Formats: sequence, C-alpha cells, structure tokens
Amino acid sequence: MTVDRLLERRLLFFGGKGGVGKTTLAVAVAQYAAERGEKTLLVSTDPAHSTGDMLEISLGAEPTEVIPNLTVLEIDPTAEADRYIRDVKERIAESTPPRLVQEVERQIDIARLTPGAEESALFDRFTTLIEVEGSRYDRLIFDTAPLGHTLRLLGLPEHMHAWMSALIGRRKKVNALNRMWQRVAGTEDHAERRSDRVLEALEERSARFARVRTVLTDAKRTAFVFVLIPERLPILETEKAATALAAHGIPIGAVVINRIIPDSAEGAFIERRREREREYMERIERDLGAYPLLRVRLQETDVVGREALHHLIAGLH
Amino acid sequence: MSWSKIRAKLRAARDIYEGIFIAPYRAEIYREYLRQRDLFFLLGFADLIGVPNPVGFYTLELYPELIEQFHEWHLRLGMEHAPDGGFRCC
Repeated sequence: MTVDRLLERRLLFFGGKGGVGKTTLAVAVAQYAAERGEKTLLVSTDPAHSTGDMLEISLGAEPTEVIPNLTVLEIDPTAEADRYIRDVKERIAESTPPRLVQEVERQIDIARLTPGAEESALFDRFTTLIEVEGSRYDRLIFDTAPLGHTLRLLGLPEHMHAWMSALIGRRKKVNALNRMWQRVAGTEDHAERRSDRVLEALEERSARFARVRTVLTDAKRTAFVFVLIPERLPILETEKAATALAAHGIPIGAVVINRIIPDSAEGAFIERRREREREYMERIERDLGAYPLLRVRLQETDVVGREALHHLIAGLH
Repeated sequence: MSWSKIRAKLRAARDIYEGIFIAPYRAEIYREYLRQRDLFFLLGFADLIGVPNPVGFYTLELYPELIEQFHEWHLRLGMEHAPDGGFRCC
C-alpha cells in the first residue's frame, strides 16, 4: 500500500480519535497531491480547527490558497448557520406577502437558535462542497472532527434523504387530494396547473442528498482513511467506527498507524513501551488487517513545515 | 325544442347526477385533503410544537406558504387567535 494507491480516489476523508494525527496526515497528503500538480482542496470540518495552526497561518471561512495548487478551508458552523439563514431570507423575500414578511423572518430567526441548526448548516455546506465547489478541484481532502461527530456527518445524507422522501410523499398526496377536491367542487383550473414551489424545494434538496450519498459510497471515488496510534483506546474506537462506516456503506481506503516507536530508539523505558506496542500492532493487524495498513514512525520533533511533511510521506510504509 | 332548452335540461340532469353521486362525498374529500395537509404540516414543522425534527432546518423556505395555512388551521380548530408558541399570524 502506498500513498499513490490511496490517491486513486478523488475524495479522501481523514478521521480518527482526537489527537492521533489526523490533521498532520491530511495536510501531508494534501501537500503531496498539490506538488504532483493536482488542484487540491483541503477542508477541515472539525469545529475546533487545527489545520491553520498546522500550516502556521490564520484561515478564514473562505478558501485560501496556501501553496500553489493547495487551497484550504475551515468550515465554521456558526458562520455557516448565519449564511444559511441569510440565504433563506433572500430566497423567500420575493414570494412572501409583505404583511407576513416580519413574522416569517421572526420564525426563521428562532430556528437559527434551535439545537440542530449549526449541524444542519455544516451538513448543507458539506454537500454543496462535494457537489459544486468540489467539481472545480482535482481532489478534495477532508480533515474531519473526531470520530463520533464525523460518523454522524457521513450518516446524515442517508437519514436526511429518508426524511425528505417521506415529506415529499406526503406532499404529493396532499396535492392529489387537492386536485380531486377541486374537480368535485368544480373549481379546477384547467388553464394553469400551478407548479408546487414547496414540492420543488423539497425535491431539489432530497436529490442533492441522494447524489452526495452516491458519491460517498462509491469506492472508486471515495475513501475514508483511519488514523490511529498503537494504543488501547484509539484501537477500540477505530474498530467500532469501522463497523459503523461499513454499515453506512462508506468505503475504507486505509488505516494509518501513526507514531510507531522507531527501531533506533533505546533504553529500558522505551523497551517496556515497545513490548506493549507489539501487542497492539498484532491486534491492529488481526482486527483491521482487512484494510490496507500504512505505518508512520514517531518523529524526533513536532511535524511542522513543508520539509517535515515531505519526510513524513517519504517514511510511510 | 331550442338548443338553449336542451342545454338547460342537460345541466339539470348533470346537477341531479352530482347531487346523488358526488355531493355526499364532497365534504369528505375536502376533510381528507385538510387532514393530509395538516399531517404534512406536522411532519415538516414538528419542532414548532416541541417535537424534534431532523429536517426542520431545511424546511424554513416553506414558512411563507405554511404561515397562511396555519392561520386557517387554528380558525378551523375553533381558536380565534393563534396559540402561543407558533406563528403570530393574527
């Protein structure tokens, strides 16, 4: 298994338990792809962003080109929710009777404060990123939030699509009954069958969720890369997450084992650690060996800067 | 018999037909239409009555249309003014 094999997929997700090195790996692979000449977009979906810190720059909610071919974006759920609310208000402005505008806007502002608002806005941005902005890049790499959050995000297209389908089905039934009623009441309007704006809005969104789900579950286009370190809790969490991802039908491209104690390290303390590590490595090979495994050695210093990232990719085996 | 008389008789025949076969169901069809519309309203805006709704954030664009139905709905239920917590439509 090599990085090049992994890069056969256009859409890559890096995920794992907090603190295992997701961001470092995602940035290293994104830089590698950019230097191969691919127009790459690196997106952080973690509300507690560290991608900018890794690159030692301050990033905004707008895509920023950090080196030639590499653009980075940190999604800010708060800003996304505000933007979403603004968009909705603009879209309904022309179709709302003036006497209702104030009340409708008040209700929309209340919805902005509901518990799921920021998650929904983040998900909305996520789907448009994959569909619209993604098409302007050769490659999309997602540096994701710790696993619980990410599993939820990746499962959403499926859940949302199911809910939207139910709503659409109901709406069609309402429309059919309305037509039937108009026919028996003799008020049917033959000249103009009004298009149902509500139904159109629902179907548009539902179709987008379905398309994103198709992309996410396509092993030719998408791969989820687990990052873990050879310790007990990251292994347990990765095993559980791998099962959950498989249930959602999202293909797992590789498991990266980070911070392996190098052979050159010595001392009684290191020997003890290495013994435990050996057990954990065996467990990883046994339980996660079905996926391609990649190994990264523990570095002497923090991985900072382009040279260190090159070194990291070169050392992958 | 002139054409206008024939037409009047035909219209009367149609009215009798409708009176016997359609009118009894007219109200029922309308009631069913309202029931289904309320159900759609509930599915799309369950959060308005405190029931969590995973798609609530994606149905915001439907507010203008549904706010008018809401007014009709609370009148139909015998509430002269909008109940607390929902739209303040009147």
